[in-house]
Amino acid sequence: MKVRAIQFSPALGNIEKNMEFHTAKITQAIRDGRELIVFPELSISGYHLKDIASDIALKKDGRQWREFEKLSKKIDIIIGAPLEEDAGIIYNTALYFSKGKWRHTHRKVQLPNYGMFEERMIFKPGDEFRTFKIGTMTTGILICREILFPMLAYLYFIQKTDLLIGISNSPQRGIGKDGISSFQLWENMGYVFSQFYQQNYLFVNRVGFEDGIGFGGGSFFARAGQGICQKAKVVDEDVLDAEIRPADVRRARLSSNYLRDEQPQLVLKELQRILHA
Amino acid sequence: MLKIRCDLVQKILVTSIRDSIHKNGFKNAIIGVSGGLDSAVVLALCRKALGARHTFALLLPYRVSSPASLDHGKMVCAKFKVPYEVIDISPAVDAYFDRFPAENRLQIGNKCARERMSVLYDFSVRKKALVVGTSNKSEILVGYSTQFGDAAAAFLPIGDLYKTQVFELARHLDIPEAIVAKMPSADLWPGQTDEGEIGITYKDLDIILHLMIDRRWDEGEIVERGYPLPLIRRINKMIVNSQFKRTMPPVVKLHARTVGIDFRYLRDWNK
Repeated sequence: MKVRAIQFSPALGNIEKNMEFHTAKITQAIRDGRELIVFPELSISGYHLKDIASDIALKKDGRQWREFEKLSKKIDIIIGAPLEEDAGIIYNTALYFSKGKWRHTHRKVQLPNYGMFEERMIFKPGDEFRTFKIGTMTTGILICREILFPMLAYLYFIQKTDLLIGISNSPQRGIGKDGISSFQLWENMGYVFSQFYQQNYLFVNRVGFEDGIGFGGGSFFARAGQGICQKAKVVDEDVLDAEIRPADVRRARLSSNYLRDEQPQLVLKELQRILHA
Repeated sequence: MLKIRCDLVQKILVTSIRDSIHKNGFKNAIIGVSGGLDSAVVLALCRKALGARHTFALLLPYRVSSPASLDHGKMVCAKFKVPYEVIDISPAVDAYFDRFPAENRLQIGNKCARERMSVLYDFSVRKKALVVGTSNKSEILVGYSTQFGDAAAAFLPIGDLYKTQVFELARHLDIPEAIVAKMPSADLWPGQTDEGEIGITYKDLDIILHLMIDRRWDEGEIVERGYPLPLIRRINKMIVNSQFKRTMPPVVKLHARTVGIDFRYLRDWNK
């Protein structure tokens, strides 16, 4: 599958401007023969929403969906959006459109709420990690901080995921002599997901600034069993094209089969013992 | 401990300057160039971000300012081919103090800083430019600045770099050695140095601030590293006592949603 990741800088709270950008990039991707296009977390709205969230959160019956559904007749699309599913209840979501329909919603479960983050003041957390199909590939989505909890990716792993997609709004922080420490976090997780969960993994992070807080980019593709094989630029806008092959998942499992040897029932039994001790 | 990867820091700061200027509908930056290190670094970064045609410097000496400061200011503008004007603020400042005599030299220093701010903001209109601030993290944290004076700006590109890191970045940016080598000074009166006035070298101050703020070490841990407890407490007190300089003036809450309290929007709202 020919995939395109869009690393860009959404305008904060300006849905109209961001919609125009999405439409242009999707149209271009269709022209370029791509089959799936992935935008970062909250790509339609920007990140530090604060009170903007309730001003601009998209409703389930909003007009934007029709535009994405129409475009998805020719390409599969994943975007990030604040979604007001019930009156006054907003989720930080990743939305999948395919073959003219809105087909999957992932609601972010791990909402960071410390330091510069205040997502719990804005969003209600989701409560499930369900897979869906993109073509023949069983796919799961993680949003930003969820990526840093390996047990959440594990939930997709035991659902036999071929493709894991992580969309993010990671602020760059922790400057030192070796660069920005936050960049390394995401690549470390990419290595784990590729090598030990043996999934294809696409990480799509945004760039740009919101009141001085910069987002680092550095989107990448990690092939199942092979680690990171393609990287986008850091700091700057970029487009990353990757070719995702389900056969790589099989090859990775055949060389050292972690999925076959995994014992989720044992994990469940031990979790129950630990939690009820 | 405070070493930085200068090429990456430069890339981030240059990108952020371009972003801040353009996002707000401007093309140009204006910088008050003192002849010191911080403004030289900010000038060089703006030059890289926007080009010489869109970067403008004002040199704003007072009559007791060191002549070397003016020379160094001109030197850095020449080095980066940035156009500048020199405006002597002495007539404006002296006219005020002739009528209302100063009680101490700090009062004159603060008045000079605010006069410079006033001229910079007036020229920002003339040049259709945003005022780019030059404060660094060390001085912001200990409050070594004049509120609504040198601390006033549209944004602060080097505000999260400690002074010792600004030195490192300055060398990377090839700032003239005469500026990098001299003792940092606010040049508020003859012979003044930052370190003399703050009472500690930047090298030690920056390490203590970094451990205290970024790494969240407690004072016991910093003492174990070899710094005296009274010094650590004095620095902590400087931070606490200058918090008013780092915040907007509080608004007294009366309505359901109050500006600065629970009317919560970033400045980049809808940009």
